[in-house]
Amino acid sequence: MSSIILEARQIRYRYPRGMEAIRGISFHIRKGEKIALVGPNGAGKSTLMLMFNGMIRPDSGIILIDNEPVSYTRESLRSLRKRVGFVLQNPDRQIIAPTVYQDVAFGPVNLEYDEHEVKEAVTGALRYVGLEGFERRPPHLLSGGEKKRVAIAGVLAMDPDILVFDEPTSGLDPSGSEDIMELLDELHHQGKTIIISTHDIELAYPWADRAILLLEGRILQEAIPDVAFACPEYVRQAHLSMPILLDLYFELEKRGYSLPEKKPRTLLDMLQVIDVAFKKTPCPHGNPGTISVFDVDSSPHDSLPGWLASHQGVPVGAMGTRAKQHAADNNIPLDFTYGVIDKCILRAIIGESSLILTSTGMVRRVEIRVIEFDNMSGIRVPVRFMC
Amino acid sequence: MYDEFLEDIAQANGLREVNTYVKLVAGLGAIILCLLSTSFFAPLFIAVLLSGAIIILARVDIKTYAELFIVPFWFAVMSVLVIVLLSGGSPVYWSWDPFPWLSLSISRESLNEGIFVFCRVLGGMSALIFIALTTPMTDLFIVMRRCRVPEAVVDLAMMIYRAIFMVMHLLVQTYQAQVMRLGYSSFRESIESFATLCGSVFIASWDAGEDLVRAMDARCYAGKFAVLGESGPVNVYSLAVTGSFLLVSFVIVVMTKNIVAI
Repeated sequence: MSSIILEARQIRYRYPRGMEAIRGISFHIRKGEKIALVGPNGAGKSTLMLMFNGMIRPDSGIILIDNEPVSYTRESLRSLRKRVGFVLQNPDRQIIAPTVYQDVAFGPVNLEYDEHEVKEAVTGALRYVGLEGFERRPPHLLSGGEKKRVAIAGVLAMDPDILVFDEPTSGLDPSGSEDIMELLDELHHQGKTIIISTHDIELAYPWADRAILLLEGRILQEAIPDVAFACPEYVRQAHLSMPILLDLYFELEKRGYSLPEKKPRTLLDMLQVIDVAFKKTPCPHGNPGTISVFDVDSSPHDSLPGWLASHQGVPVGAMGTRAKQHAADNNIPLDFTYGVIDKCILRAIIGESSLILTSTGMVRRVEIRVIEFDNMSGIRVPVRFMC
Repeated sequence: MYDEFLEDIAQANGLREVNTYVKLVAGLGAIILCLLSTSFFAPLFIAVLLSGAIIILARVDIKTYAELFIVPFWFAVMSVLVIVLLSGGSPVYWSWDPFPWLSLSISRESLNEGIFVFCRVLGGMSALIFIALTTPMTDLFIVMRRCRVPEAVVDLAMMIYRAIFMVMHLLVQTYQAQVMRLGYSSFRESIESFATLCGSVFIASWDAGEDLVRAMDARCYAGKFAVLGESGPVNVYSLAVTGSFLLVSFVIVVMTKNIVAI
């Protein structure tokens, strides 16, 4: 198990002349975890998160980063804020500079990178969030989703280890929200620890490693999502709603079907539950379809158009910003942009083939997920790497 | 309240990628030539050419441009009327003394003077609008920095720039909320609504300002502001066009120095 990167010990905080917002919270977060903080408005989520990068100092209790108590001197706050990147809920309140480039460069410049390093950091961050070519645009002419990306790029440019997002999907359209969640996944895959606060249970439920339910400044529950969201009493208290998949699972259970122990977290899991419940064969159409994987970083680019031409009608999914960029540059229409592997496995089960575009870092993920599925279902979904 | 900002037009104009200095030289050069010229012809020539550049090269909507031009145009017409009627001169075509201390007359000299001033205004205006519509503020910040404007001033200007759009956004939102609930329906109501608008936008922008400080702190602010890299390199074609425009205009200024309208 990886080391603890962030820990809170009995922290309390009272707003000046206000009520106590945090009433004794303790928890720890391990390196590389994906944490969702959930709870009703006013539960203390934002207040708690502002403590992670030292914007708010707890009245009592301590916050530890890498087992070191946070110190509130000017110098150590600077290094803390370089390690813990914070993305505010409202990007308009986070974007400072008159152009996208200047805003993303804000952190690096103040960290005293030299001109070349600044440029590199900014270009990298912008490419990461898929905003190449937006450098000279003023922020007020961007859409909500684009502004959010600029805010994220501004934080990424400082290369923090822990990323804290306050409501990353608020105010975005469903596809924009999915893109952001996919981006968070990609960042997580790079080894970043990610903490989000959200009201969007449906997005948090499959995404998080662990969920922390907050209520009135206290932790109501802290567990893996299928446990945290499975208790109707807690869900009601925290003003949440149960994820639809869990709800369906429990309804099937109440009707007396025998279900697998593991609760479904994705559509694919749910289909397996249904197959077990109704005793159907998981692969009704004989052989499963093939999932082809194309690595946009290393596979020869000229092989792709030919493949697409000879496999017309095959759905294409892209995983990761670079793959999506590649698809956009080459006018490849995308059928899936979020939860790509699961969607392709779903296709494979009904005998259809599909193609996944991805970058080198994420090729392994396809393999891992498919093997995981194979072991669970007993079906062998063939995966073919194009090179 | 829902008008497009000049800045937004400039951000999307057809000459956006042309080097900022080239555009500034064209605009400022045109203004100087308008001032140097002693006849009406050169400023008129500059006005026509720059208007053409704004509409054809920068691809600014002709209606937008006309709307922009109309206000200073009427202002120029009024002032020129006063000049024509009051400046005297000979030979007199028409005169009238409504009061013992005021005599109005139209003469050949005053007409020429009027046409000259009017054309100068047109030339100058089109040059100014040319700069405003082709060079967004964000590019001018780079020039300001280059011209050694103190860093604090430039940083402040950049933050003010960002703040203007934020406050404008708040203003529009609040105003709409008021109109939806029948604010501004009577004179008295308008005054009250306007007062509330000012108050609430002031408080909201104060809030936004505090958030801004926090956002800067969260990103390790240490008194530095990034600079946007230089705009596109000086392109030979744009340089040639600008150079020949200024040269031709200058030749016209010299050659037409004695030409009068009437």
